Amino acid sequence: MKFLKNIFEKTGKLVEKGKPLSWAYPIWEAADTIFFSTDSQTKSGPHIRDNMDIKRTMFFVVIALIPCYIFGAYNIGYLYSNALNIDSSFIPSFLFGLKYVLPILITTFVAGAICELSFAIIRKHEVNEGFLVSCALIPLTLPPTVPLWQVFIGTAFGIIIGKEIFGGVGTNIFNPALTARAFMYFAFPTKMSGDKIWAIGVDGYSAATALSVPANPKNYDTASNLFSNITQFDFSNMNLFWGLIPGSIGETNKLLIILGGLFLIYCGIASWRIMLSSIVGLILTATILNLLAPFSTNAMLTITPLQHLLIGSFLFGIVFMATEPVTSSHTNRGRWIYGFFIGFLTVIIRSINPAYPEGVMLAILIMNMFAPLIDYYIIQSNIKMRLGRNA
Amino acid sequence: MKKIKIKKGHDINIAGKARIDSISEKFPETVSISPVEFNYIKPKLLIEEGQSIRIGEPIFYDKNNPSVKWPSLASGVIERIEFGERRAILNIITRIDYESEKIQTSSTTNLSSREEVINFLLDKNLFPFIQMRPFDMVANPAEKPKSIIVSFANTAPLGTDFNFSLSGEKKYITEGLKNLKHLTDGKIYVAVNSSQFDFVDDLEFVEKIFVEGPHPSGNIGVILNHVDPINNKDIIWTIKPQHLVILGKAFSYGIYDFKTTINLAGPGVKNPSYISSRLGANINNLCKDDLVDSSLRIISGDVLTGKHTSIENFIGFYHSSISVILESFNRPFIGWLHPGGKSKYSVFNAYFGTNTKPFEFTTLQNGSHRALVPIDSWEKVFPMNIYINALVRSIEAGDFEEMEKLGIYECSEEDVALCSFVCPSKTDVAGIIRKGLNMIYLDK
Repeated sequence: MKFLKNIFEKTGKLVEKGKPLSWAYPIWEAADTIFFSTDSQTKSGPHIRDNMDIKRTMFFVVIALIPCYIFGAYNIGYLYSNALNIDSSFIPSFLFGLKYVLPILITTFVAGAICELSFAIIRKHEVNEGFLVSCALIPLTLPPTVPLWQVFIGTAFGIIIGKEIFGGVGTNIFNPALTARAFMYFAFPTKMSGDKIWAIGVDGYSAATALSVPANPKNYDTASNLFSNITQFDFSNMNLFWGLIPGSIGETNKLLIILGGLFLIYCGIASWRIMLSSIVGLILTATILNLLAPFSTNAMLTITPLQHLLIGSFLFGIVFMATEPVTSSHTNRGRWIYGFFIGFLTVIIRSINPAYPEGVMLAILIMNMFAPLIDYYIIQSNIKMRLGRNA
Repeated sequence: MKKIKIKKGHDINIAGKARIDSISEKFPETVSISPVEFNYIKPKLLIEEGQSIRIGEPIFYDKNNPSVKWPSLASGVIERIEFGERRAILNIITRIDYESEKIQTSSTTNLSSREEVINFLLDKNLFPFIQMRPFDMVANPAEKPKSIIVSFANTAPLGTDFNFSLSGEKKYITEGLKNLKHLTDGKIYVAVNSSQFDFVDDLEFVEKIFVEGPHPSGNIGVILNHVDPINNKDIIWTIKPQHLVILGKAFSYGIYDFKTTINLAGPGVKNPSYISSRLGANINNLCKDDLVDSSLRIISGDVLTGKHTSIENFIGFYHSSISVILESFNRPFIGWLHPGGKSKYSVFNAYFGTNTKPFEFTTLQNGSHRALVPIDSWEKVFPMNIYINALVRSIEAGDFEEMEKLGIYECSEEDVALCSFVCPSKTDVAGIIRKGLNMIYLDK
């Protein structure tokens, strides 16, 4: 401990103001405070401060994601052993999956750190621990088979275009993790969609997700056989909930996502308003489409609200992506509207355009874009109230 | 009578609350008045070092408003005038001569109009006791306030319990309120925590307000936001409870009595207690034997809004308490992973087993400054109908019009101090609000 402290004290002198290495101060500060809590003092009032800081806030989001990682790795191994009819117990499956998850995770962190640190130096802003969350989120939204160079480019794109060019954390418009995923989805479509990528298997092994099934209509006409006529997987609600099915690494087990969400709500980090209103928006929209289904040949309209909740990344998106505090609405009333439209748009994109498999990513990005506008109108109503008092 | 119930906010459970049983008396050797404490004034001295002065005699005036003069807080000799950067007057220190101070001729006056009350306060050099909102500055006698408010409900952490410290002052409070009523055509509000200051009920010209709920429910800004919001160009006058007593004595007998009860509290105090002393008293005289043996930060005022001062310094003009906390430069290994327990305090549910016992806060900021991440923390402790996040952003952008529209006039540092306290990004919200007010004031 003392050894570490000495290292930081010595290197700290090199990055002081006026020294040739002073440009590296943000990096030194970030590293130093990871190992030893800062001894920054309060200056003027308030003279005392709460023990919560951004490091812990961001770290808690990462904690909430860890179960998804563990399950994601296990799921990769499980699906593989099922395809090959070999032992599918937890430890070997998990270790098998880890071989795929870990490289992706390391790649995102390396790419994220390079971008964040270089911008911290160039723009002279603090290294914000938020990038750790973005980097932890990206692998969970990807298929396990994704090539690492694509992960690297995608992450860099997400951090730079999604965040840094807008001025870094606090002023960005789009969720960096989702920006990265959207970029990869459109730039490398063959590696990000289809039915060959969602599980590791032998060559040409086909493992469609629940959402890519309706996109390739074969012989279904109602919701009841929408999911039942698929290759080897049973997309019953129970299976969709427990998540031993093909999908992006982190989104399949809904229980762990719900637990993660409850944890973040309990800690006061994520907004329950956004999560709740997204679900309300999704259920309402899906119900309305169910009612319209008899008048249409689009089988997607028959998907029930519960199925909508469970298939795809909807829950993962609203728990970890939509609640990103900077890019969501900043007002509580705005958060209700913002969340509601995420639910609404997700169902609309899924149902009206079945060729496009997952709606939640675009729904959140679209609402990221509209969040400032929603806030603007909410704040205008407050301003109008105040002006009315003056009159 | 009105009732306000505040839900948003937080009562910080800080150790070292002063006992409410007895008040010990201490006689300081020196007192000081510090012109830098008063926002936006340009002080011009009327005395010089070594000069004898009598209590209440003018000591300096405001060049912006020459009719407003500040009284000497004691009879004695001006011992020293301390200057800071750019000749800012930091302290005007008077060595007290208790004998000569006793001689004061009392007279009774009967004031019946606004003009008479204003002239009385100006003649007696007592006008600086009246502050105004917005801007938190000494009121301008030429302006007429929309209303006047006094808040006896002090919800600040380790704040003075006025129900205790002013318990014998019923007569002077009544007299003070009666005369202040002439100053406005509007209402005079008196805010209390429930079932205190019953005698105010009998004053039919007073609108009593019961406030309930956690800090900052007792703050003037919060109360006004609920009952009588400050609109553009509105002016509201306020007076501190302890000053109301001083004015009450002056109204009653025409004498100066700057005795006041001070609350000495905080984790750095051995025996937190109430002390009867006087305005601007030397802090050393008040608490030299009561402090724990450690590196300390002495704060004139409460821990949220007080001023960082030192033991040789003096208690602030508007302050009724001294808070002492321990300085800490402790750097725990991987502190952000800490599970919780007795060494942590947080309004977030981010640690195990915290906030149960009175907590010994230190001067640690508990985190580095980071870009603003709006996780709804400010809004949880800010009970006003104002979008504080948008307001702060408009101030940072220097958008005057937007600041006004978003209600900056209703805010003061003390109302947003809890936002700074909880902010995980360690943003100085109070400092930003003051910056916004300064920008608007200096632009006028």
